[in-house]
Amino acid sequence: MKFVKRLQESIEKHADHNVLCINGVFYTYADFAIEISKIRSAIVNTIDDSEKLIGLVTNDDIQTYASIIALWLEGKAYVPVNPIAPIERNTKVFELTETKYVIDSSETSIYKDHIVIASKSLPEAEINLKPKEFSGDQLAYILFTSGTTGLPKGVPITFDNVEGLIYAIDEEPDFNLVPSDRCLQMFELTFDFSVVTYLFPLLAGSCIYTIPKGAIKYFYIFKLIKEQKLTVLTMVPSIINYLRPYFPEINAPDVRYCSFGGGALHSDIAKEWSDCLPNCKIFNYYGPTEFTVYSGFYPYHKETDTKNHNGIIAIGTPQAGTSYLVVDENNKEVPVGVTGELCLGGAQITPGYWRNPEKNAQSFFTRVEESKSIRYYKTGDLCLKDEEGDYLYVGRADFQVKIRGYRVELAEIEFHAKAKSEKKVNMVALDITNNLGNAELGLAIESDEFDTSEIFEHMKSKMPDYMIPMHVRFVKEFPHSINGKINRKELKTYFDIN
Amino acid sequence: MNKEEILSKVTEAFVSVLEHNNFQLTDETTADDVDGWESVTHMMIITEVEKTFNIKFKLMDLMNMNNVGDLIKTITSELGQ
Repeated sequence: MKFVKRLQESIEKHADHNVLCINGVFYTYADFAIEISKIRSAIVNTIDDSEKLIGLVTNDDIQTYASIIALWLEGKAYVPVNPIAPIERNTKVFELTETKYVIDSSETSIYKDHIVIASKSLPEAEINLKPKEFSGDQLAYILFTSGTTGLPKGVPITFDNVEGLIYAIDEEPDFNLVPSDRCLQMFELTFDFSVVTYLFPLLAGSCIYTIPKGAIKYFYIFKLIKEQKLTVLTMVPSIINYLRPYFPEINAPDVRYCSFGGGALHSDIAKEWSDCLPNCKIFNYYGPTEFTVYSGFYPYHKETDTKNHNGIIAIGTPQAGTSYLVVDENNKEVPVGVTGELCLGGAQITPGYWRNPEKNAQSFFTRVEESKSIRYYKTGDLCLKDEEGDYLYVGRADFQVKIRGYRVELAEIEFHAKAKSEKKVNMVALDITNNLGNAELGLAIESDEFDTSEIFEHMKSKMPDYMIPMHVRFVKEFPHSINGKINRKELKTYFDIN
Repeated sequence: MNKEEILSKVTEAFVSVLEHNNFQLTDETTADDVDGWESVTHMMIITEVEKTFNIKFKLMDLMNMNNVGDLIKTITSELGQ
């Protein structure tokens, strides 16, 4: 596997560089090589070669990162579980993947029914970073996201998928990490965005700065930017929403790259954030877990590149090796300028949801292009392609609701609601089902109560009356999922309209 | 305002955000000691405290706040005492 070989070369070549900064403690690539080798030796001695899916408790320490590399050198996949998630959910994940072995750096492991490799207390081992020969269709990791049925939904990613991601980033001339880079890694390792925040720095010999569990992450990130002079940031947009009141105090000239992903980036806040980072290129990345983190990006610039739709920054063009296709309900391509569901094809596409043939039949299809059969993943995101070939994000397919028979895009309501508001607060439009089974529109505002008459007057001047929310609720703090996205389902419970 | 008065108002802010009072705030109390005190609720507590005392924290101060003692020190200095 090419990229695993490159990891070996990078770790050897950058031995005296720092690889990780965890809670103020620095570790070098040489330290990393020692930890990897110890864990790898334990894997070889404990785990049967036929066992490919290995559990990993995602603590914030060098052993946890070293475990990922040790597993990859052996051609095995990590199945990460968050130590703060309920044990019932984590054991369910291991049950679904038939995982018998768990690598755990905790002081004492709670996985009593599994064979645990206690990665913090392993004997010394000879340095061994040479990857084993294995085939690229083996799995590199499986991540579980919440499924609509309550059972977690597994997304397996192969070594070939990861290779496809690295090929795409290598092809991109505007993004090049160097060994002197200091990179933010703010994600839980059960969230797929973390793959790019540890893998790209490791391949370049750069240093990764993590957020300790329990730290106030918004301020800790700022502290790292200021005191450690981070050069590369990879974030979800909700981080800067919370830091927004303090933007006038932020000036970070060392930051060279700032990549966003995992949610809609709004143009007003992007502009303000860009003012805080005078020497920085901003990338608005797009990509679902099912397509190995990234599928493409839009290079944002506050003056020259501000393309947006309803205030949401464009997602740009597909990266090397990826094709985008916008389709209608029958999976037929729609013309330029017409909104449809975005589908992704290419080397990074998952082989399919873990043991879920029903969901796979719904989410994937093949299409013959130039006598080749191309497999596509349906993202559930509505997009349109403009005349210049840029893709614009319109909203989630399931956020397109029918109100009194009209198709309504919730993002559009949010855009107009926020446009004239003096208060820079979060607003979310929701479809609430009334006791007749009809959908009515609600507007949730993340704030103490204030007078909304101006907001409503503006909305009425911009949208037909069926698009004007009938219910308003002020919510002090929006409920969020573990990945920092707004939990719309829970937010709906604030609307007791019946 | 003396330290006890500040602490009592800070405690009220915590109770209003966290919606429980199963804690006793001292100078050494950190987020680990109080149920529900994490990144997002911390931002709410900060906003609530700013409103209560009619002050505005600086990011530099917030960044170095590690426990309730640090919070009270910063409030005291913002109040100009």
